Amino acid sequence: MKEFPLGNAALAMLVVMVLSIGATLLVPAAATAGKPDLVMAIFSPEHVAAYRPVVERFEKENGCRVQLQLVDQKALQDRLQSSLQVGADVPDIVELLGGTLGIFTQARVEDVKLLDLTDRVESDRLKERVVESRFGRWTSRGRIFALPHDVHPVMLAYRRDLCERLGIDVAKLTTWDKFVAVGRTLKDHHLPDDVVGRHYMIDLPYDGSELLKLLLLQRGGLLFDSNGRVTFDSEAAVDLLCWYARQTRGDNLVGYSAGGGQSFSKSLIDGLCLFYVCPDWRTRQFESDAPSVAGKIALMPMPAWEEGGRRTSTWGGSGLAITRRCKKPDLAWKLAMALYYDPASVAARFPETNILPPVKAAWAYPPFDRSSGYFSGQAIGRSFADLAADVPRDYDSAFTSQASNKLVEAFANIAIYYSANGEVGLHDFAAGELHRCADQVRRLMGRNAFLTTASAEAAR
Amino acid sequence: MNGLHFLLASMAVVFVSLWFVRSKAAVVFGRWTLLLCVAAVMLMPFVWLVCAAFKDKAVFNEYLFLPPLDKLNSQTINLDNFRSLFAPKQTTQGPVSFWRYVVNSLLLASTGTFISLVLCSMGGYALAKFRFRGRGALLTYMLASMAVPGVALLAPNFAVIYHLGWMDSYAAILVPSAVTAFGIFLFRQAMTAVPDELIEAGRMDGCSEFGIYFKLVMPLVRPMTGAYCLISFLGAWNSFLVPNVFLQTQSKLTLPVVLNQFMGVYQRDYGVFLAGTLLAVLPPAILFLAVQREFISGLTSGAVKQ
Amino acid sequence: MSQAPSEIAIVPTPQLAATGVGPHRRRLQMGGEGVAGYLFLSPYLLVTAMFFLVPLAWASVLAFYQTNGPSSRVFVGWSNFKFVLGDTDFYVAVRNTAVFAAASVLIQLPLSLGLAMLLSSKDGRAKNLFRLIIFLPNLVGQVFVGVLFSILFTPTYGLFNRLLQALTGWGLDQRWLDNPSLVMPAVIIASLWLYVGFNMVYFLAALQNVDQSLVEACRMDGASPLRTFWTVTVPAIIPVATFVVVTSTIGSLQLFELPYTLLQEHGGGYGPKNSGLTIVGYLYQYAFRNGDLGTGAAVGWLLTLLILIVSVVQIRASNLFGSTK
Repeated sequence: MKEFPLGNAALAMLVVMVLSIGATLLVPAAATAGKPDLVMAIFSPEHVAAYRPVVERFEKENGCRVQLQLVDQKALQDRLQSSLQVGADVPDIVELLGGTLGIFTQARVEDVKLLDLTDRVESDRLKERVVESRFGRWTSRGRIFALPHDVHPVMLAYRRDLCERLGIDVAKLTTWDKFVAVGRTLKDHHLPDDVVGRHYMIDLPYDGSELLKLLLLQRGGLLFDSNGRVTFDSEAAVDLLCWYARQTRGDNLVGYSAGGGQSFSKSLIDGLCLFYVCPDWRTRQFESDAPSVAGKIALMPMPAWEEGGRRTSTWGGSGLAITRRCKKPDLAWKLAMALYYDPASVAARFPETNILPPVKAAWAYPPFDRSSGYFSGQAIGRSFADLAADVPRDYDSAFTSQASNKLVEAFANIAIYYSANGEVGLHDFAAGELHRCADQVRRLMGRNAFLTTASAEAAR
Repeated sequence: MNGLHFLLASMAVVFVSLWFVRSKAAVVFGRWTLLLCVAAVMLMPFVWLVCAAFKDKAVFNEYLFLPPLDKLNSQTINLDNFRSLFAPKQTTQGPVSFWRYVVNSLLLASTGTFISLVLCSMGGYALAKFRFRGRGALLTYMLASMAVPGVALLAPNFAVIYHLGWMDSYAAILVPSAVTAFGIFLFRQAMTAVPDELIEAGRMDGCSEFGIYFKLVMPLVRPMTGAYCLISFLGAWNSFLVPNVFLQTQSKLTLPVVLNQFMGVYQRDYGVFLAGTLLAVLPPAILFLAVQREFISGLTSGAVKQ
Repeated sequence: MSQAPSEIAIVPTPQLAATGVGPHRRRLQMGGEGVAGYLFLSPYLLVTAMFFLVPLAWASVLAFYQTNGPSSRVFVGWSNFKFVLGDTDFYVAVRNTAVFAAASVLIQLPLSLGLAMLLSSKDGRAKNLFRLIIFLPNLVGQVFVGVLFSILFTPTYGLFNRLLQALTGWGLDQRWLDNPSLVMPAVIIASLWLYVGFNMVYFLAALQNVDQSLVEACRMDGASPLRTFWTVTVPAIIPVATFVVVTSTIGSLQLFELPYTLLQEHGGGYGPKNSGLTIVGYLYQYAFRNGDLGTGAAVGWLLTLLILIVSVVQIRASNLFGSTK
């Protein structure tokens, strides 16, 4: 037999090519039956699985076809932006990740490629039925462009067993000051069976990352105000960043950065950190990443910044938008209502995700009073629902990612200053650093032609 | 001073004492010790990967590698991750088996590699052995085109693909990468070393230009062909960004895109993801073992030496 | 060895043509060969016109606009370029990218060459296995790399931190991905693990060009191994080495995915204080995270210019080096 002139490697490629084409032809993919009436793009596999039965029922009731597309979050956003840029086809309905709406709304209101839902929200009286503060982040210049999927109240998850043995009474931890005071005593506390050198009070990311935003919101601060102006150099932010530096650096620190994935689970299982910031969606992560501590974990409201203050915050979330190109907006709206705000249906779905639905009527259903074995028998649905009314409102901008980055940058410099100089001049330095970073974002926004017209519209 | 230091120190002692007895043996010893150390560092993550793929979900995060011997049983070590990987997933197109993604990936990687091998080597041959007007300018252009970052052209490319009607089709992935400046450049460099007499002789014998390229020249650059197949296959096999943006239908997706679905924004199934990663390493590893003979020993036996 | 006149200045034709090829170079006539040449190159010309030139033209126009979809478009002249060149973050990105490029050329390529030399002879199955092991990291996808290094680089539990602690007594508590001054070292370490085997493949192929009888002759003359390396090995691998240096410099100047995956949960993909921000990362941030394709395109042009300058300098330098031998 003569040798293949291109060599064995190329021959192998040719063989694999023929075989795989053969396999593809032999097992044809199930044919899709014509063009669907609605296409909905979703980035979370859990959401797709949860929506499927609802969608099937919806198709039967309305005699239509709905196609659910699972798309990676970044791909969804890149594709959506590119599609809108070039005027290509887009899905009729998209689920957006919180913090990404601003990119689509930096045009003039009439040029935004997402459907303005304000009138529909008004006529369906959604603001009364749904946790009202959640519309903030999906609103631009007073117009609502997406519907909130969730509330995502934040609590603290803690190692109940270790706290009891270390003599920590969580009922007394009502403010961050008290919390930190107890945390500082941990340095000298040991248990005979400890596998770690010492216990830390709370898991605080070393660089601040998402937690800075979360704590800032709890304190009443914001990255952007309702008109899209940069506000993260407020006095609340200065105080917070100084506080955070004290808790994560130096001799009096109470925080330890547990990280994510395996490192997070080890820290939880070994009891390296006792308390963890835990929005509703993260309870699922606890259950799946550290099953061995089931029954040893419990939830408590966050400590407030001052006695009687807000004891929760919010972290993450997604929203549903209908694109302008959608040919059947009424049908799309109907589907959105069925998926998001049908109380019986969202209540039945709660145990799958532990995500608190924003429609208040749902909370009366039994799943929210079911006790959780993992969380020491607590009815976690009820605990989160009780905090929903206090969840702070926030707003979005096309520059949310820059603002978050700059906040973290300011913190990094403040932390370095604190490590070197301690308290001396810390507050002034922090204020200056935050101003510098905020001004950078302001300059960036200032040169955006569309945003300028947008804020002019807002001022009008 | 710990075990690791002791190990390193004892190796150094062996090396030095060998050096005094027979320096050649010391060199051999040094070479293999060095290789072993490098190999250990390179392999450690894969040892972790193999352990992780077989660990049960319940103990996945409990132990860094494997559970201690007394806890080693079917509760902690099993094939659950692989089972859930291969369980047909419910999609809008009905259930889709994991094998489908494997076949899709194989199809795209092998077709892409074969087509680009032929087209790039043809282009490289023309640039190396034909003299024609504009050849120099073309070479400059190719080098310059490599300097433009791909991300900068992502949105315009998206527009082109859309207007061609190639969204959600394999053409969007195969055609733009069917022939690249990089590949042509590589083959041009390899083919300048082919003697001109050979081509001349081919022409005397009445071979067609394509015949000369295919039957006379290609067999002489087999090492580069082997290396190119490997590199191109790997690139296509692991390609994530492009299929992730252009493919939509679940049953058309490729392995990296599907594996990424286990690492969601809200929930991450590390075990299943890592089991899939482990399986995905196998085809290119087999290819590497099969092909490395081509580019290690090929040239010495080739006709390039004069 | 005679050197064929180079048609163009920036492609390393002279030495590449010189290796292994004799002094014979026919005058080729135009006509038949021109037609055949363009016929052979026609697939490339078609593809590059469609998927490179058209998008490039589009991106070039965009660089002078601010856009937000087809209906919102404003001509802004050089404003995008001026903004980028006046932005401190851009210079942070340039510095990080330059550090990475320098590290990959100065640390990674010599290591690749060293490994290739250790493994170049074809004796034994053991070496086949070692080659596979060193190449293995190239077989896994980016997502896995992100997961892997988030586990390797964590304080207290991270494998890398533990290894470092055991070896040097330092490093157990280091937060590689949270400490601005350790982010780039971490990215470089990860890239070493990933890519050292990749460039080894090119060097392995190139080392087959080394004339073993010359090496033997040198040894007979009592030349030191280092001298043999410089006088015999280096000249033989210079063509491929130039190719590897140029392409891997281009690759490192376009670095994006690796730090972006590693730092996914540390500063949103860019690291604390943008310590992992690269030029393409900066481009991506504007083009996609802010939806400002115009500024993205302007960054793309500036980077292309930078790469072209660096490549030309490198090729010129290697020409000089080649002709002194």
